[in-house]
Amino acid sequence: MQDAITSLINTSDVQGRYLDDSGLERLTAYFHSGELRARSALSISANANTLVTQAVAKSLMYTDITAPGGNMYTCRRYAACIRDMDYFLRYATYAMLAGDVSILDERILNGLRETYNSLGVPISATIRAVQSLKEVTADLVGADAGKEMGRYFDHICAGLS
Amino acid sequence: MSLVTELILNADSESRYPAPKELRIFQDFLKSGEQRIRIASVLAQNEQNIVQTASARFWERCPVTPSNSGNPRKTASCQRDQGWYVRLVAYCILAGSEQPLVEIGTLGIKEMYTSLEIPLRNIVECMKCVKEESIAVLAPEDAIEVAPYFDYIIRALS
Repeated sequence: MQDAITSLINTSDVQGRYLDDSGLERLTAYFHSGELRARSALSISANANTLVTQAVAKSLMYTDITAPGGNMYTCRRYAACIRDMDYFLRYATYAMLAGDVSILDERILNGLRETYNSLGVPISATIRAVQSLKEVTADLVGADAGKEMGRYFDHICAGLS
Repeated sequence: MSLVTELILNADSESRYPAPKELRIFQDFLKSGEQRIRIASVLAQNEQNIVQTASARFWERCPVTPSNSGNPRKTASCQRDQGWYVRLVAYCILAGSEQPLVEIGTLGIKEMYTSLEIPLRNIVECMKCVKEESIAVLAPEDAIEVAPYFDYIIRALS
């Protein structure tokens, strides 16, 4: 995986250069955002279960997907769904700390759509759930941090669709 | 790899969120960003100068060496490498980790210089000179951040 720092280092290194001004500017902005990122991660980690519960209640619980014949029917499937939601939240938090999406591609998105298709997990419902996760997370961490977290939830959705 | 990536991968290997203590380390690291950017910029601006004075110092201490043999290609390669190591140290300063140095410049360093038939002892002396000249262009509180990375290169060579 890369983060906001190493992605700049890697692009500079292949050219044998130091970071240029625009790179240093981006780095300065990232360094300044440390407190916001750390504070958000702390509060997401303390409320992770609640966030997933809220997001599921908002998007999936009262739809046909939890009824007999739906892909979340049976406890086993329900449990698998909330486990994946836990993953999405945790990896989005990692990506937010890193200021870079690469960890999402490497650890979550590679092959996920194919896996879901083969398991019959509906993509559109998954995207709806991730969007709800984005909303409840923003409610918790506030507008600025919520917007930054939103970038990574949107990246998950884009990778699924 | 940076301090940030290291911390995230550690948490991920245990399938957990970063602990409060780790987040404090993360935050403190980002807070020191201004100093890191300053050091990296000073190294970038002074690279040529560092390489010139370090070379002079190196040839004084170690006159019989390929880069001082009168072959301009060997001199240029040696100075190019010195500049590269200054750049890698600047990356490490930004990343807060020796990993950029390891990944790009110290894994295989002994084997490489040995196969180029450059005595490792000479490279060590050369790196010591680059370290001394780099430190010389920095303020004392910045110099102590830089020195350990040069020591890391020197250790990798011995």
